[in-house]
Amino acid sequence: MPAVGRTYWLTEPCRIRREDNSVRVERPDGSPVRIPITDIRDLVVFDHVDINTSALSLLSRNGVTVHILDHYGNHAGHFSPAESMSSAATVRRQVEISADDEQRLAISRSLVLATAENIRWALDTDLLDPALEALRNALPACRTNDAIMGQEGNFRRTAWAVLDSRLPPWLRMNGRTRRPPTNAGNAFISYLNALVYARLLTALRSTPLHPAIGFLHADTDRRRNTLALDLAEPFKPLFAERLLRRAASQKHLKESDFETDVGRASLSKNGRKKIAALVREELSTTVHHRGLKRQVSYEELMHLEALKVVRLCLEGTPYKPFRPWW
Amino acid sequence: MSPGPEPPAEDQTAVGGVHIKYLVHCPRQLWLYARGYRPEQRSDLVAFGEVVDDTTFTRRRDVDLGEAKIDWVTTGAVIHETKSSRAPAPGHTAQVRHYCLLLERRGVNVRGGVVHYPLIRRTTDVVWDDGARTEAEDTEAKAQTVIAASTAPDRLLRSKCRGCSYLDYCWGD
Ligand code: SF4
Repeated sequence: MPAVGRTYWLTEPCRIRREDNSVRVERPDGSPVRIPITDIRDLVVFDHVDINTSALSLLSRNGVTVHILDHYGNHAGHFSPAESMSSAATVRRQVEISADDEQRLAISRSLVLATAENIRWALDTDLLDPALEALRNALPACRTNDAIMGQEGNFRRTAWAVLDSRLPPWLRMNGRTRRPPTNAGNAFISYLNALVYARLLTALRSTPLHPAIGFLHADTDRRRNTLALDLAEPFKPLFAERLLRRAASQKHLKESDFETDVGRASLSKNGRKKIAALVREELSTTVHHRGLKRQVSYEELMHLEALKVVRLCLEGTPYKPFRPWW
Repeated sequence: MSPGPEPPAEDQTAVGGVHIKYLVHCPRQLWLYARGYRPEQRSDLVAFGEVVDDTTFTRRRDVDLGEAKIDWVTTGAVIHETKSSRAPAPGHTAQVRHYCLLLERRGVNVRGGVVHYPLIRRTTDVVWDDGARTEAEDTEAKAQTVIAASTAPDRLLRSKCRGCSYLDYCWGD
């Protein structure tokens, strides 16, 4: 993949300044760290960061995106370089496809179905087979994205209940809640989903696509980068559901990694660090790719996913959402 | 499936050196490039190429033709092009011939060109004569045809794609 630089995860409060062509990260303890700008692909901010315009313009000029997660792990926003790789020819096609009901609905259905199958894969259970079957039967009749999302919601509720049955009581979700997540399980899922979204946004920035023109999510979604939201869907189970299950079974996450209050929960400082480490490790996990004849990391899979949409726009190649093949 | 998008008009009018280099390597690459998909801008290979470019010739004079940037032109209109690759390729020569053609159209009395390979300390001379001019014109016309086509040219044989920055795009499904 076009790997220029790496992702830097800022899990502690820090101050970011420019120093020549480097970014200087000052943490309250210890001496400042200097990172050459060319070594940075993007920054993921988990905690308070104080940054000035001189640092931002350096980041911008070098195509670096800064993702900001809020206290509850929601994607609070991002800073995007002024220049993008978008190309008129590609974006024009992207708009045409998303405005064409048939094509848009076909993509939406396949995204929802692939995501459901990936959840089943992540939970590794046949308990979800009936729900999956019901979803498969219901999708063709859905004539709007709302209807498709409704079916997806039904499936998700069943899936979360099944997931809960594999979790210790303190980590159970008891239904999905956001803004704020009401319990540890939901806080975990929120964080992971936000990180997957941020990765997709970064992946899209290296393509000629416009991240705001999507197929499944409504344009009115608060976060607006609907294509990034769309493409994040089939990857969420690979990270969120799967890692939650694993964290529970390996007892890697502890109750003390969360700060729970009445009706709201978030990760503690230590919990955030653990998650950042967990996700970084996952993103670099590799699998063999037959077409490319080499190992590709999970992170690259997201980049390849974005390229599928480029192929759809440039060549009309039908988009087949990601499914784990291993 | 529906045909692909038209290339943007502003890109279509001018055929630059990169277009020619890509045409010779793989017409499909040229077609994609002309539609604005340019993965090489982010690959470290290219970043490396830029470094070689920046440091090797310190007394260079850039000539900006609009369509094509020429590394430098010595007195007597010899076109020099620097490559960070370790192996001379037909595309490199074709690219320099194309620059000769563009310069000549601007009234410059072109003598020829040289491709420099600093990493292997080699140079390749590019002759400029009637035969070379005809060849350059043919290549330019071919490039225009490929760019204007409504569908993408097929992929090359997988074995020929090695090292291509479009590999993830072409084979990543
Ligand atoms: S990967 Fe192969 S087919 Fe695709 S552009 Fe490169 S050389 Fe051509």
